[in-house]
Amino acid sequence: MKISTDNGVKYWRSLDQLAETPEFKKILDNEFPENPPGIAGGALSRRKFLALMGASIAFAGLAGCQRPVEKIVPYVKAPENITPGNSLFYASAMPFGLSAYGIVVESRVGRPTKIEGNINHRLTKGKSGALIQASILNLYDPDRSGALRNKAQEASWSEFVSFYQELQKTFIESQGRGLAILSSSFASPTLFRLYEEFTAAFPEAQWAVYEPVSDENIYDGIKAISGQNIYPVYDYSKADIVVSLDSDFLYAESDEISAVRGFAEARSLKTENDTMNRLYVVENMYSTTGAMSDHRLRLPSSHVAPFALEIAKELRNQGLEIPIPNVRLDGFDRDAHQKWIQAIAKDLKKHKGKSLIVAGKRQPPYLHALAAVMNHGLGNTNNSVRYVSLKDALPPSLSSLNRLVESIDNGKIQTLIIMDGNPVYNALVDMDFAAKLAKVKNTVHFSSHVDETSRQTTWHIPAAHYLESWGDVRSNDGVRSVVQPLIEPLFNGVMRAQLLNLIVTGKDENAHDIVRKTWKSIFPELDFEKKWRKTLNSGVCEENLYESEEVGFNSENLGNLSKSLNIENLSKDALEITFAADASVFDGRYANNGWLQETPDPISKLAWDNPALISLNTAKELGLKNEDMVSLTCRGRSLELPVWIMPGQADNTIAVSLGYGRTSAGRVGNNVGFNAYLLRQTSAKDFAHGAAVKATGKRYKLANTQNHGSMEGRALVREAPLTEYQSHPHFAAEMVEHPPLESLWKEHPYDEGNQWGMTIDLNACTGCNACMIACQSENNIPIVGKEQVSKGREMSWIRLDRYFSGDLQNPEMVYQPVTCVHCEMAPCEQVCPVAATVHDEEGLNVMVYNRCIGTRYCANNCPYKVRRFNFFNFTKDYPHVFQMAQNPDVSVRSRGVMEKCTFCTQRINQAKVKAKKEGRELADSEILTACQQSCPADAIRFGNMLDKNSNVSKSKMNNRNYAMLGELNLKPRITYLAKIRNPNPDLADTKSQI
Amino acid sequence: MAQIFPKFSNRIPLLVLVLTVLLTVSVVVFFWYFASPEYTDVGYSPEQPVAYSHKTHVDSLKIDCRYCHTGVERSAIAGVPPTQTCMNCHVLIGVNEESLALVRDSWFESKPIEWIKVYKLPDYTYFDHSAHIFAQVGCESCHGDVQSMERVRQTKSLSMSWCLECHRAPKDHLRPASEIITMKYVYPKNQLEFGSQVMSEKNLTPPTTCSGCHR
Repeated sequence: MKISTDNGVKYWRSLDQLAETPEFKKILDNEFPENPPGIAGGALSRRKFLALMGASIAFAGLAGCQRPVEKIVPYVKAPENITPGNSLFYASAMPFGLSAYGIVVESRVGRPTKIEGNINHRLTKGKSGALIQASILNLYDPDRSGALRNKAQEASWSEFVSFYQELQKTFIESQGRGLAILSSSFASPTLFRLYEEFTAAFPEAQWAVYEPVSDENIYDGIKAISGQNIYPVYDYSKADIVVSLDSDFLYAESDEISAVRGFAEARSLKTENDTMNRLYVVENMYSTTGAMSDHRLRLPSSHVAPFALEIAKELRNQGLEIPIPNVRLDGFDRDAHQKWIQAIAKDLKKHKGKSLIVAGKRQPPYLHALAAVMNHGLGNTNNSVRYVSLKDALPPSLSSLNRLVESIDNGKIQTLIIMDGNPVYNALVDMDFAAKLAKVKNTVHFSSHVDETSRQTTWHIPAAHYLESWGDVRSNDGVRSVVQPLIEPLFNGVMRAQLLNLIVTGKDENAHDIVRKTWKSIFPELDFEKKWRKTLNSGVCEENLYESEEVGFNSENLGNLSKSLNIENLSKDALEITFAADASVFDGRYANNGWLQETPDPISKLAWDNPALISLNTAKELGLKNEDMVSLTCRGRSLELPVWIMPGQADNTIAVSLGYGRTSAGRVGNNVGFNAYLLRQTSAKDFAHGAAVKATGKRYKLANTQNHGSMEGRALVREAPLTEYQSHPHFAAEMVEHPPLESLWKEHPYDEGNQWGMTIDLNACTGCNACMIACQSENNIPIVGKEQVSKGREMSWIRLDRYFSGDLQNPEMVYQPVTCVHCEMAPCEQVCPVAATVHDEEGLNVMVYNRCIGTRYCANNCPYKVRRFNFFNFTKDYPHVFQMAQNPDVSVRSRGVMEKCTFCTQRINQAKVKAKKEGRELADSEILTACQQSCPADAIRFGNMLDKNSNVSKSKMNNRNYAMLGELNLKPRITYLAKIRNPNPDLADTKSQI
Repeated sequence: MAQIFPKFSNRIPLLVLVLTVLLTVSVVVFFWYFASPEYTDVGYSPEQPVAYSHKTHVDSLKIDCRYCHTGVERSAIAGVPPTQTCMNCHVLIGVNEESLALVRDSWFESKPIEWIKVYKLPDYTYFDHSAHIFAQVGCESCHGDVQSMERVRQTKSLSMSWCLECHRAPKDHLRPASEIITMKYVYPKNQLEFGSQVMSEKNLTPPTTCSGCHR
């Protein structure tokens, strides 16, 4: 057997592997490290453990004589439509910043258990993402605030109502003098109506909007040159060339689900004759978008804007009409990147009207303005990008917060109501928001948890989760949806609309009525009921969608914007620091969500932490190793945190993610990671130069999942450039040479009924983690904690392998989701002494939990390393409310049991029973596995392989199809479609250069 | 020299062997019988909070099973009726009956009745009532002659081998759709033929692999 080295690509998973350090070898040799120090994290000695076990066995023996009594508790009055055992599905929407995700929520006997995308909604189209999937766990977070508080004492809602009503009378007289509201941004017809009523009723009051992570730079940049409050909406399916200027549009930017869908569409290849898009990424820290790129240039964040300016100039030199003022940006070495600039400009010009330049939200307004002007000059406006003016939306504005803080300092504010957000934790540190709060007489904080801010305010009002609330939203293409509650507030939460209505009108009204009142102005009175019900049912109201705005850009203002740019020379003593929203906990609001905390970061593959990322060169220069603690100083502030060497990070830069180091998040999120907000200040908000690190000599253990289950240099991921694919369409299947595959015994034919199979298109997968959380939610996969993860005992059934290839400094990255591939000749089955893992007639490799005695032979014999073992009884101590998040159709596993992907056998069974009862055959794509249903890139196909017309069969006939480790004759049911990249021939020799 | 062992000691090895075999067999038989669900579970008939009599309601009053167990044809769970179902009649009948006090309390105080589960499957076993009704398996096949029970009693072991007996040979157990709720049903002489007919008409393929019932 030999691996073809035609394309000369050598894959490696981490720097340690390449370095072949003894630690890495140890991990490889020992996938499930034995004899971890002590049992249960060293708290229990072996002897003590045996003693306890002896006692519990004795008790178990006695208890076992009696049959445990179980109760059946029916309704007193059964609600209509609920049949125990059958799920109901409700359309709703998840508000998120200035947009919203249309969702469908599965409810079981009044208990929401699973979220999927709403197929009617233009943004999600039935798909979802990691944050949407995980948001259901926030509903069942046992640490949510359960009571209203006044000066840290429990109080009631009616007490607050009468307190506020008294205040409100004075506000009416004074037109709101002394009153201020600090809210997060929203796009909601009802909240916006109340906002307008508020400003009309209290003209003297202040309203500030703050989001720690926002698109404000985008609004500001485009407003500066257009004079309009407009916002770009991209259609990636219409772009053949995409240039991302520090924009992680496939993961971290707004509206990422439709971006992934459009991008995957423009990249999909059915045959070698199809065309695909090309993606250039210029960025500082490696992102999932960078991983998908055909060409990636690493530049410090501050050098992205001058780089873009050079492209604009080059385009202008090539005769395109791009009116840019003659500004020179000093400090940027154009000549070093000459080749890139020319190649990108040439490619853009060639694809005029079918290209797209996007800038990331971290970048200053200047770059957004420049990108808009370039897109306009390239004829992309109203093709791949259009501009809409958001209605019913209140965008974030840092200046409004600054004004508010100033007013507080001047003693003008007596009552401050903070709706959502956590400014004490995440406001810019030089604002010293906690001290400002102390200057205000009455402070009210509305939030789901008693968090850092709630602890500093006089009043705390518990917020209802969006799955418990009436409300409405408007997404960034104008689709309006009603947010409808699936369950009564579990923790006495108050709904957003209810609180704001009280603030404005002084009346305590029902949120349902408040929302309906708004919608009465949307729908004519005559068919109001009909249209209201229709909107509730479908989840969308598609009337008055946003029209594309006519735009004209005045590029004169580009010159003014460029004045704020600051391009400095960087060195190891003057680093550039970049702040990024975290891939798991976002801005910190998901810190108490165990699913998200445990999902490894898509790039670093670390869970439960946020180290500072630095490049290999910089680490060498500074003499730092992975997991070294450093003191990171930025403009007078400093923070101690560990470093992690990230290939592909720009030299002399350091990147930290926000959202960790919380102190009042809850049992999961408290004291996890390091609070990077402590470094974030007005002069260093997105990125800034002048940071320095100093090793403290201490070490810090990070939970790293990247070395686990390494596959030792075999051709697992197969990829080729488009040109090679065109000349050699079957390259993937032929990449590994092997002798004819023959079995020692007679093989089972698997030639009748349904034979389930799956394909995963590596060309589409962006590594966004949506499938991992969807699987966790569907299949009751436990959270195991940082310590277990660092021992290689994470339970997630899907593992998103990330491989680097090529240059050490700026490698290419590729993702491969791996789960149980359901081998027809499964090696796990042959070594199980108790037949706990066997095949069924439809080709599923079945795991029978109750037979399993925990020998772990199967996991040792699995070449794909996809079996997960319950080393402890992770589920036993679940808080009661947390148990409500479990899927009743899937067994909750106990200690000592092996588990792994089942192809969502519960969904298969339910669909089969349904089809049989309806007297028909199963339709193709009637069964969607949880991962497939969530995947925004539509990379996963599942179905009956014997049906030649099924999606999965067609996908398996694609010439990029290959079986991972197919040479072992295991006949895996999951096969992969090889990845194709589309590099620009003009840049062929840059890979090793940078 | 005197013999160390008396003569009867020659028989000890044989005796030990026989006793060992006997002991082993009796231990096996003991557990085989006394630890089997046939012994431990069949006959389980806990006292319920309300002394509801199936005999009265079904045998005497001829109420259809599905009047109360409404989910049986469309859901995995047949369902125990809400208090409301009881009160449909008992708002007029037996209004002062002492045995119905708990039902009235439940109704007027909105407090659910906590029935004790009799037919219990392990949590890792997923049984679907609607699939079995569709396949024309009678209620009686699993629940026994409920019609004649004052207090519900488990009549079948519900062990996996018991399930598989039927899944492997379903033809013996299927009945006409009209007879599903019939108790003391007598299978006709041409049962095999009839069973085969139902199997092919409804394209029944009762699963016998693990994934059929365990998830």
